[in-house]
Amino acid sequence: MIIDHLDEPLPGSSLLPTPTGDAYTDPDIFEKEQAEIFEKMWNCVLRSDSLPSPGHWKTVTVGREEIIVVRSRREGIKAYFNVCAHRGMRVCTAGEGKNKTLQCGYHAWTYALEGDLVAAPNLTSMPDVDRKQYGLKPVHVREWLGYVWVCLAEEPPNFEREVLGEVRTRFGEVESIDNYGIEHLRLGDTKTYDVAANWKLIIENFMECYHCATIHPELTEVIPEFADGLASQRKNGEVHGSSFGEEIQGFTVDGSASGVHQLPAIAPDQDRKYYAITVKPQVFINTVPDHVIIHRMFPVSESRTIVECDWLFLPEVVDKITSGELDVSKSVELFHRVNLQDFNACELTQPSMRSKAYSSGGALVPSEHHIQEFHAWWYRTLGFEQVAAAQQETEKAAV
Amino acid sequence: MQVSFRACSLQDLTPGEGLRIDSVSPPIAVFLTEEGTVHAIDDTCTHQDASLAAGWVEDCRVECPLHESTFSLTTGEVDQPPAKKRVRVHSVQVQGDDVMVELSQEAPNLPPGVKA
Repeated sequence: MIIDHLDEPLPGSSLLPTPTGDAYTDPDIFEKEQAEIFEKMWNCVLRSDSLPSPGHWKTVTVGREEIIVVRSRREGIKAYFNVCAHRGMRVCTAGEGKNKTLQCGYHAWTYALEGDLVAAPNLTSMPDVDRKQYGLKPVHVREWLGYVWVCLAEEPPNFEREVLGEVRTRFGEVESIDNYGIEHLRLGDTKTYDVAANWKLIIENFMECYHCATIHPELTEVIPEFADGLASQRKNGEVHGSSFGEEIQGFTVDGSASGVHQLPAIAPDQDRKYYAITVKPQVFINTVPDHVIIHRMFPVSESRTIVECDWLFLPEVVDKITSGELDVSKSVELFHRVNLQDFNACELTQPSMRSKAYSSGGALVPSEHHIQEFHAWWYRTLGFEQVAAAQQETEKAAV
Repeated sequence: MQVSFRACSLQDLTPGEGLRIDSVSPPIAVFLTEEGTVHAIDDTCTHQDASLAAGWVEDCRVECPLHESTFSLTTGEVDQPPAKKRVRVHSVQVQGDDVMVELSQEAPNLPPGVKA
């Protein structure tokens, strides 16, 4: 394979700076991230099929807001701020449920699944109350890849351009993500990780593979080329299909055959390869020939992030898993171990972000340089204009 | 001599939903069930001022949108607290597209604070 980064002349610039430690520990910066990133961009929150019939609802946290996601009777999946329009109490007070209406437990203001205020004590004697204006405040909803995506911004970024466009471009024309038919796959397994680390450490970890040969022995056995330190994600947002080793029969914890049928429409180029992309700000999509792994991150604080990881298979495969005819634990175990290994590294990194020794940040080696594209986006989105990075360089030079 | 009046048109009704008619006092609710039958009862729950027309219709009963009492669309009886008293049932005749209702002559069971 071509190790293009190393072919470039990089006199005196092998190492590029990272953000300073406080970017990972400062609650004010985290609050700014919640406001400017998570509350403005599209967030992938849950699987559409986890709300199987009208009335099923779940609550999710996006940025600093709690959101109700519900399958309505007439208008498909809808999402609302979990705030009663009357006096503000939480309308839904559990993580999930099934109800004919959404009713606040304080004064019984009652909302249709479509969001309008339909009933309240004495409401009939207040005919001037507008049922929409005093309905639940909606947030924008899209469904894609079998998931519900929400955006809390009044004017959401264009979903086609910002999410679909970015993903399709990265996968390229030929190696299109569409070939995997992700929207038709079903949940084979899911795991939740409560990670004591800043969300950016998890993204940075996911973007590079310089660590792979050190902390991911099983993954590097299956994909030996990861030992060169280059990840599936490359500079300029390009995605490289990382090949399975010659002896490897499947993307499983021991490289043995998975027993799972390959996804029907993948291109020849996509066979025996692993692809990974980050959909900013909180989704990772990993594809292999016979299943797809999707991570969703929910930052809780500057030092804690919940990660939900789903393993998706063809519906007939999930039927066989359910009936006990097929065991996919070897497939699931591989990335579960990768997750545990990665999150352990992130948790052991987080405390150092407060250290004096890291106050001016760390370094990115050439195979990690593309992480600077993420950092540039982060500086730009928070309005920091990467001044911080420049200052940091100067400070380092001065030391 | 009580005469029936035109409460609404069949076109005004949605299967599985109620329509509040407040041209009479106390107001009534007309329901078209998923099965296609038309019923009229008092619109106001007997427990607290709430419009039963906004309630959930299932198996020829309507559940008050505020609390969990359900009322029979055919007899008006209530199944469980917090409501304790039945609602009145009004006789309905569908003539072509017109839903004709003859109001019950009983005294209504209205909740505290609501007057006919």
